[in-house]
Amino acid sequence: MKSIFTALFLFTFVTAVMSQTKLSGKITDKEKQPLPGANIYLKDTYDGISSESDGSFSFTTDEEGEGILVVSFVGYKTHSQNVKLDGKSKFIEIVLEEESTELGTVVISAGSFEASDENKAVILRPLDILTTGADADIYSTLETLPGTQQIGETEGLFVRGGSASEAKTIIDEMVVQNPFYSSVPDIPARGRFSPMLFKGTVFSTGGYSAQYGQALSSILVLKSQDLAPRTQTSINLMALGFGGSHVQRWENSSLAFEGGYYNLGPYFQIQKQRTDWEQAPIGIEGSASYRQKVAENGMFKVFSSYSFGDLSLRMQNLDNAAQKDFFAQKSNNFFINTNYRDIIFGDGTFFAGYSFSVDKVKNDINKDRVKRDDIFQTGKITITKNLFANSFITLGGEIQNLNAKTGFNDLEGKLNETYSAGYLEADVFFTNDFAARIGLRAEHSKSIDRINVAPRISLAYRLGIYDQLNFAYGEFYQTPGQDYLLISKEFNYEKATHYILNYQYIGDSRTFRIEAYYKDYDKLAKGTVYTYPYFNLPQVSFSNNGNGYAKGIDVFWRDRETIDLTEYWISYSYLDTKRDFRNYPVLAAPTFSTPHTFSVVAKHWVQEITTYFGLTYSFATGRPYFNPNNPEFLGDRAKSFYNLSLNASILTNVFGNFAVIFCSIDNILGVNNIYGYNYSSDGKVREAIVSPALRSAFIGMFISLGETNPY
Amino acid sequence: MKTLLSAVLILTFVIGTYADDKYEKAVKKNLDKMDTCKTAADYISIANAFERIALAESNKWLPFYYTSLNLVLASYIDSSNTQKDMYLDKAIEFIHTADSLEPNNSEIYTIKGMISQSRMQVDPMSRWQKYGADATMNFNKAVEIDSLNPRPEYLIGIGVYYTPKQFGGGPEKAKPILEKSLYKYEQFVPANDLMPIWGKETVERLLKQINEGK
Repeated sequence: MKSIFTALFLFTFVTAVMSQTKLSGKITDKEKQPLPGANIYLKDTYDGISSESDGSFSFTTDEEGEGILVVSFVGYKTHSQNVKLDGKSKFIEIVLEEESTELGTVVISAGSFEASDENKAVILRPLDILTTGADADIYSTLETLPGTQQIGETEGLFVRGGSASEAKTIIDEMVVQNPFYSSVPDIPARGRFSPMLFKGTVFSTGGYSAQYGQALSSILVLKSQDLAPRTQTSINLMALGFGGSHVQRWENSSLAFEGGYYNLGPYFQIQKQRTDWEQAPIGIEGSASYRQKVAENGMFKVFSSYSFGDLSLRMQNLDNAAQKDFFAQKSNNFFINTNYRDIIFGDGTFFAGYSFSVDKVKNDINKDRVKRDDIFQTGKITITKNLFANSFITLGGEIQNLNAKTGFNDLEGKLNETYSAGYLEADVFFTNDFAARIGLRAEHSKSIDRINVAPRISLAYRLGIYDQLNFAYGEFYQTPGQDYLLISKEFNYEKATHYILNYQYIGDSRTFRIEAYYKDYDKLAKGTVYTYPYFNLPQVSFSNNGNGYAKGIDVFWRDRETIDLTEYWISYSYLDTKRDFRNYPVLAAPTFSTPHTFSVVAKHWVQEITTYFGLTYSFATGRPYFNPNNPEFLGDRAKSFYNLSLNASILTNVFGNFAVIFCSIDNILGVNNIYGYNYSSDGKVREAIVSPALRSAFIGMFISLGETNPY
Repeated sequence: MKTLLSAVLILTFVIGTYADDKYEKAVKKNLDKMDTCKTAADYISIANAFERIALAESNKWLPFYYTSLNLVLASYIDSSNTQKDMYLDKAIEFIHTADSLEPNNSEIYTIKGMISQSRMQVDPMSRWQKYGADATMNFNKAVEIDSLNPRPEYLIGIGVYYTPKQFGGGPEKAKPILEKSLYKYEQFVPANDLMPIWGKETVERLLKQINEGK
C-alpha cells in the first residue's frame, strides 16, 4: 500500500516540477511578408497556435526533451525543425517556401491561349466560346483573339500570316482531317464539332510543343469532356432545324447520343440572301459518345459522328452576263476517335488513341463532276514520367495514313501517304520561377520519302506572383498539300522557324499579354496547279524554292472586375508579312493577311432577367486581292472590314424545364463588307465577294428535360 | 510486486482517461469557439486547432471532420477566389482522411457535398454543371446513410434558396426543403456531445425570412 502512495506521490511531484517552455517567433515568406493564419505546433501534441496578422506566434508547452516544431500553411511547403524543450524561452523565425502547385509556379505558355477550368493560369473559360460571336462556333471565337485574321469568305484559321492549311485541329491528341464542313466557294463553312463537347481548348499561335507537327503556323488542341455530370435529355429547337440528345450517367460511365436535322430553306425565305440558292443547305448529323472510368485514374473514351449535307446554288458567270453557273454539293462524313488515358508508375501518365475518318464530297459544277474521298487514320501513344519536383519527361510517337482519291469527271488521282513521327520532350522546373520545355520531333513522310528533325524550346520566367516573361523558338515542318503531292513526289518539307517573346500578367480578374514574333518561311512549295482565276500570270514550275516572313505584335487585355457583372476583352494584332509560294510570281503580302486587326468582346449579366448579353466588334484593314489589271501582283487592297454582332443567352424555365434561349444578330450595322473580287477571264468584269446575307440572325432554344434547376 | 502492478494499472487507467478527457476538452473548447467566429481568419484559427488535434490523435475521424468543416466555412467568407480554392483543396484532403477512418458516415458525406457547393460558388457560371451534380450526389448519399441527419437538407435548401427563380429555385421552392430540415433538427439526438449539431439557427433564420416575404 505504502509503495502505491509513494509511486503516486512521486508521479504528481514530478508532474508539478515539469517545466514549461515558451516558443514564440515569426512566420514570413521569402519576401519577408508576414503569413497570418499559419499553423505552428509540436508534432504529435495538441500544443500549438495560429500565427497573428503580423505573422507572430507565441505558445507554451509542457512537453520536454527533443520536440519537432511543425509549421503548415495553405499554399506553402510544410516546415519542420528540431527544437529543445528545456524550459528556456525560444524565439524562432521561420521562412516558408511556396508549394510547387499550379498556383505557385511558372507556367509554360509562350504563344498559346488556354481555355479550361483546370489550369489556374487560363485566359479563357469554356463558357466564353459559347457566348462569343453570333454562331457559337469555336473558330469564330478564336477570330476574336490576337494572332488570327478576319477572313469572311472561307473557313479556316489564318494565323500570323499563315494560310488555313498551316493550322491544324487536334481532338484528344489526334489530328482531325476534316474539322470543317465541306467547302463551298466564297461561303465559310462551320466547324464540325460543337464547343459543348470539349472541356478544354488550347489555341497555339506558334512555338507549340514537339508532341504536334505538320502545321507551319498554329494548332488548336481540343480536349473532350470526361464523364457526363448527370443523366439528362435535351431538345434543341432552332430557326434552322431541330435536334435532341440524351445522356445516361451510371456510377463510372456515361453514354450520350445526339442528333439533328437542319434545313435553312425556311430561314432563307425570311432572311433575304445575296447568294442565289437553288437548294438551301440541308443536313442531318448525329453523334454518340461513351466514357468509362477505369480503376482509380483511368478513362476510356469513344466518340463518333456522322453527317450528311446537300446544297446547290447558282453563281454569276463573269465571262457571260447571261449565264449562271450551277454548283451542287453532296457530302458525307464519318468520324471516330477512341482513346485511353491512365496514371502509371504512380507519377506518370499513359495515353493511347486511334482515330478514323471518311470524308466523301461530290461537287457538280455545271456539267463537270469533282469528287474527293479522304480515308484517314491515325494512332498515337504518349507516355510521361515525373523526374524530380515538378519536372517530367514526355515520349511518344504517332502514325497517320491518308488514302485520298480525287476525280475530275473521268480523270482520277490517288494519293496514299503514310506519315510517322516520334517526339521526346522534357519539362524542367529549375526553380519555382524558371522553367524550360525542350523537345525534339522527328518526322517521316512516305510520299516524299524524307526525314526531318525539329528542335523546339520554350522558356518561362516568373517575375512576380502574377507576371511572367516567356520565350519560344522552334522549327516546324509540313509536307506540301495533297494538290502538290498528286503532281510530284520530289518535294521537300516546307519549313517555318518561329521566334516568340511575350510578357503576360494574369491576375485574379485581369489579364494582359503582349507578344512579339518573327516567323521565317523556307522551302515553300511553288508551282502553278490551277490557272483559274489567275489567267494572266506566268506558269511557275514546281519546286521548294518558296520563302517568306511574318512578323508582328499581338496585344490582349481582359478585365472581369472594373465594371460590375461585366467582363470584356480587347485584342489587337499588327502583322507584316510577305511570301513567295504556290503560283506567286514575286514576293508579296498574301491575300489572307492585313496589317491591323482589332476586336472587342464584352459580356454583361443581368440578374433580374437571368440573361447574359454579349457584344462582339471586329475591325480589320483591307486585305490584298488579285486584280489581273494591276501590273503589281496583289497590289490592290479591299476596303476595311467592320462587324458588330450582338447575342443574348436567356436562362429560363419552359414548362418547368431548365432552358436556354440563344439569339444573335450578326453585322447589326449592315456594313457591306467586301472580302475581295472575282474577275472575268478578260479582267474587264468583276464581282465583289461578300457574305451570303448582309445581316444574319439566329435564334434557338435548348431545353433540358426533367431538370427544374441546374443544381 | 502485486501492489506495484496494481499501482501501474491504476496509473495507466488514470492516464488513459486523462488522455480521453484531454481530447474531449480540446474538441469541446474549439466547438464553443466556433460559435463566436466572424472572419475567415477566425475559422482558420479553429481549423488549425482541429488540425493539431487530428494529427496528434491520427485515428479519430472527428477532428479531421471539424478541420474540414472550418476550412469550408472560411472559404465562404474569404474574398479571394484563389484563397477559397486553396482552403477547399485542404478541406478535401482532410475529409478524405476522415472518410478512410470512418467510411459510410452521413456527416462526412454532408461535408463532401458542402465542399462541392462552395467550389461552385467560386465561379458559378463555369462550375455549376460539374460541382452542382457532385454536391447533389453527396447530399443524397448522406441522407441515404442516415435519414435522420438534418444537415444535408439544410444545405440543399440553402442552395435552392439562392438559385434564381428562372432555374426553378427561390424562397418558395426552398421552403418545404428547409421545413423538412428543421423538423429533423428538432428530432435529432447526437450520439455524444462532440458530434456535429450545427446549422439549426441558420435554418430557422432563413425560414423566418421566407415567411416574412423576403
